Amino acid sequence: MDLGHTFKSQNPSYEHLRQKLTAKHKDIQENFFQKHGDSMRHLTLGGLSGLMLLNTPGGAQLLPQQVALAQSQDIKKGEDVTKQLAVALKGSVPDEVRPLTAPEEDKIGKILSEKLDMKVSASLQGVKLNRSYGLIGGEQHLYRYPGDNVFKHSDSASDWAMYGPAGIAPGLGAWGYFAPSPEAFTDKDKEREKWYIAVQTFLSPGFAENVGKYRDFFKFRKMLLVNPNTGQAVVTDVADAGPADWTGKHLGGSPEVMEAVGLAGGPRKGPVLYFFIDDPNDQIPLGPVQVQRKGQS
Amino acid sequence: MKHFYSHLVEIESVIVILEELDLSPSQKNHLATLIDSSFYHLVLDISLSHLDDPSDKYLFVQILSEDSADPRLMEILISKGEDIEEKLRKAVSELKDEIHQELKQAKLIKATHSKKK
Repeated sequence: MDLGHTFKSQNPSYEHLRQKLTAKHKDIQENFFQKHGDSMRHLTLGGLSGLMLLNTPGGAQLLPQQVALAQSQDIKKGEDVTKQLAVALKGSVPDEVRPLTAPEEDKIGKILSEKLDMKVSASLQGVKLNRSYGLIGGEQHLYRYPGDNVFKHSDSASDWAMYGPAGIAPGLGAWGYFAPSPEAFTDKDKEREKWYIAVQTFLSPGFAENVGKYRDFFKFRKMLLVNPNTGQAVVTDVADAGPADWTGKHLGGSPEVMEAVGLAGGPRKGPVLYFFIDDPNDQIPLGPVQVQRKGQS
Repeated sequence: MKHFYSHLVEIESVIVILEELDLSPSQKNHLATLIDSSFYHLVLDISLSHLDDPSDKYLFVQILSEDSADPRLMEILISKGEDIEEKLRKAVSELKDEIHQELKQAKLIKATHSKKK
């Protein structure tokens, strides 16, 4: 009997890879700890946050008590800051997912601006969307340049596993390609597609009378997205128009945006606040944000 | 997730083949984690071996723990000479070739298993 082909799951190719890649990983990891174990023990004594070693298959082989402590401390710190935002918003965001009143928008805008240290408002330069609180749904990746494909969107195998299944939209985003060619494609273009949202620009008051002006306004406009139930917040940019009114959803988020606001699982849908960010010098980076602690820059 | 060495790892050819293997989400996740972690430890091994001075090692690990994509990480390595980027490129390429060998075998197994059904 060839034990190498006694598979545990219905997917024999997975079983083969599981065995082989686990063995390879074990060799590499053991070699690493053999050569650098003592150094790492000394170097990481003060804190282990962020090191991938803690989260690898098989777990770290050093200082298990410190691993557990660092992980729990990091998780707790992350939870504390996002919880602060959720607590701050409690009572200001209605339970029903409906358009906010002007006073509600004003109050929430002030809370978000203070807690996240950025200028945030429901209207900007006289332009506002049809609403600033609604249901977001998951979108697909967008083609970024001619010849792009969904695999090229991944920086790592884990990116592919997490964000690949969403697929890539058959058509282009509202502004077309993010770059005219792979050679012209920059990190900025990459970040714009990664953290994009689609909003109902066509339902914005005054849109029909000012299409050109509104197009220019909305093109890659930065917007703050906040899950009011969890406090998870992300700086996004408008790269598409939609969804259609009949879908019951009010905006859409890229796979990465949905993950960042904690709505990537299950129905990939949930309530979010979405406000304009006033960032004329383009200083605020796209991606997840955290509540600023007092005195912290 | 991007790392300071991501530009040295051509991952597309690996995930294109993984996509063909009808893996469940948890299977994809598991294999992806193994692959990424293997590259990570390999690169970290070569990087730390390249840094003789303990204070350089400390700075490197400190920055890595805060942001594994920080460009200063490669700058620190390059500043110590010996074309480290080429050394890393060669090592990750060899690992990628080994992974491809297993992927090739996995595809054959899948084809054989499909025929038997």
